[in-house]
Amino acid sequence: MKAINWKKFFSSPKWVTVAWVVGLIIVWEIGATIVAGVKRTPENVLPHLYQIIGSIFSSQKANSTQTALQIVLSNAWLTLERAGIGFLLGALVGFLLALLMSLFSAVEKMIFPYLMIIQMIPILGMAPIVLAITKDIDKSRIVIAAILTFYPVATNTLSGFKAVEKEKRELMYSYAANRFEIYRKLLIPSCLPYLFTGLKIAAPMAITASILVDTLQGGGGLGCMMSQSLKHAMTIYVFWQIVFLSAIIGILSYQLMAWLEKLVSPYSRNRKASGSEKAKELEP
Amino acid sequence: MQIARKLPEAITEVNDGVEIKIENMSVRFPERNGKYTVDALTNVNLEIRQGEFISLVGPSGCGKTTLLRAIADLQQPSSGSITVRGQTPREIRLQKKFGIVFQSPVLYDWRTARRNVCMPMELMGIPKQERTATVNEMLDMVNLLDFGRKYPSQLSGGMQQRVGIARALAIKPEILLMDEPFSALDEFTKEKLNEELLAIWSKAKKTIVFVTHNISESVFLSDRVVVLSPHPGRVSAVVDINLPRPRHLAIKDTPEFSALVAKVRNSFEGV
Repeated sequence: MKAINWKKFFSSPKWVTVAWVVGLIIVWEIGATIVAGVKRTPENVLPHLYQIIGSIFSSQKANSTQTALQIVLSNAWLTLERAGIGFLLGALVGFLLALLMSLFSAVEKMIFPYLMIIQMIPILGMAPIVLAITKDIDKSRIVIAAILTFYPVATNTLSGFKAVEKEKRELMYSYAANRFEIYRKLLIPSCLPYLFTGLKIAAPMAITASILVDTLQGGGGLGCMMSQSLKHAMTIYVFWQIVFLSAIIGILSYQLMAWLEKLVSPYSRNRKASGSEKAKELEP
Repeated sequence: MQIARKLPEAITEVNDGVEIKIENMSVRFPERNGKYTVDALTNVNLEIRQGEFISLVGPSGCGKTTLLRAIADLQQPSSGSITVRGQTPREIRLQKKFGIVFQSPVLYDWRTARRNVCMPMELMGIPKQERTATVNEMLDMVNLLDFGRKYPSQLSGGMQQRVGIARALAIKPEILLMDEPFSALDEFTKEKLNEELLAIWSKAKKTIVFVTHNISESVFLSDRVVVLSPHPGRVSAVVDINLPRPRHLAIKDTPEFSALVAKVRNSFEGV
């Protein structure tokens, strides 16, 4: 009989994930059971998981035309669209800013401290200002998502440009490469892992921001439905479904960035595989 | 210029076969507080002949790397002059006539071995067909033809350094500058690459300036060994290595080799 390596089994990433999920379900259900015994409307505080799952498959209309799930999904699309546009804009602006800051140190000294200040203002404080400027809730949702995206992208990309080893730059210098060639052949490819770190931080943030800004005004979106549900304008299970769906979307947005990174940088995909089987030195 | 092109032997006569001429060169670095300076190199005079294999050897802090960097136009001399083929190092660099191999392979991780070798040729605007042919030739020369499609992370340290050498040679540089290229490798790999380097040098007939802290390596490879001593960095001796060529590793076991190693070792001052 083959002995199972328990130590290895318990430290494998799959097992850790399973342990977390099971642990969360247990804690949730203990909480829900306690709440059910104490509160008069326990579903407003913490419903059982099966109640939430049941609401997903329920065919009962939550408003005049749609079930709870239909409401959540159609509004999720609205939120995702705004977050996506904002994210792309923010990533583009962030990358270009990093490029400008690395090209001209004067630009870096001039704008970098102020970028940090923008990042320090809470979204909920910034949202009314942006709304007042854009005069359109849809535009301001996109702008807020972009503002939250560009900072992690800009800072990470800039540190990527700065992290390039001196000798790699000197090699370009020794071949009398011009600035354009240095960026195209050295700096931009070597900052890609840093850029993706920024994107992976920013993607869930853009979605969170989009949902938060939804709550400020009507016009659809997950945040909008969330606040209506909390005000009992529709079933509370819309709220609970949104809680889970937004968590899933956040994780998926991160995974999407990780997948894109693997797609554009095959060398880092190979690095992991090659560790144990490094090519042997050739015989002469 | 026109006459010179027609009569290459005339140049040799005028230049006296001297490829790199260093006159009264000093390099001083400012200390951290900016008040004092460190003499990295003082009063260096050296002539390196065309096609010569010359080693700069010395302990840490003797300025051997600084001297190489000054030739490569990576470091400006504080005083004195360097001329390479009658021109300044900067002019030679802008003509892309230097090939440089650093202590670490300095390969670009996102490029395969082939595309790393290709990179300097792209900068020179060499057409693709010619690039492919040269890459094959260079990888063949360093015995890595089968590993062209591998990324640097998939290659051993010795293989990475050979890719670096292939890349340096790919643009057919006039002068190959090597800064402790094998010092991070194990002794077996290093000795093998030493032999390979000599074979490449005898085929390509480049001028090679080779920085090392390994006395035996410098004697094995070189026509002349320039011994540098620290505090302040200076040339303390130039030792002629009159061992026959082609050289193989067995030469290291001869009394002549040992005598030359001792001669280099005894040329150090201070430390």
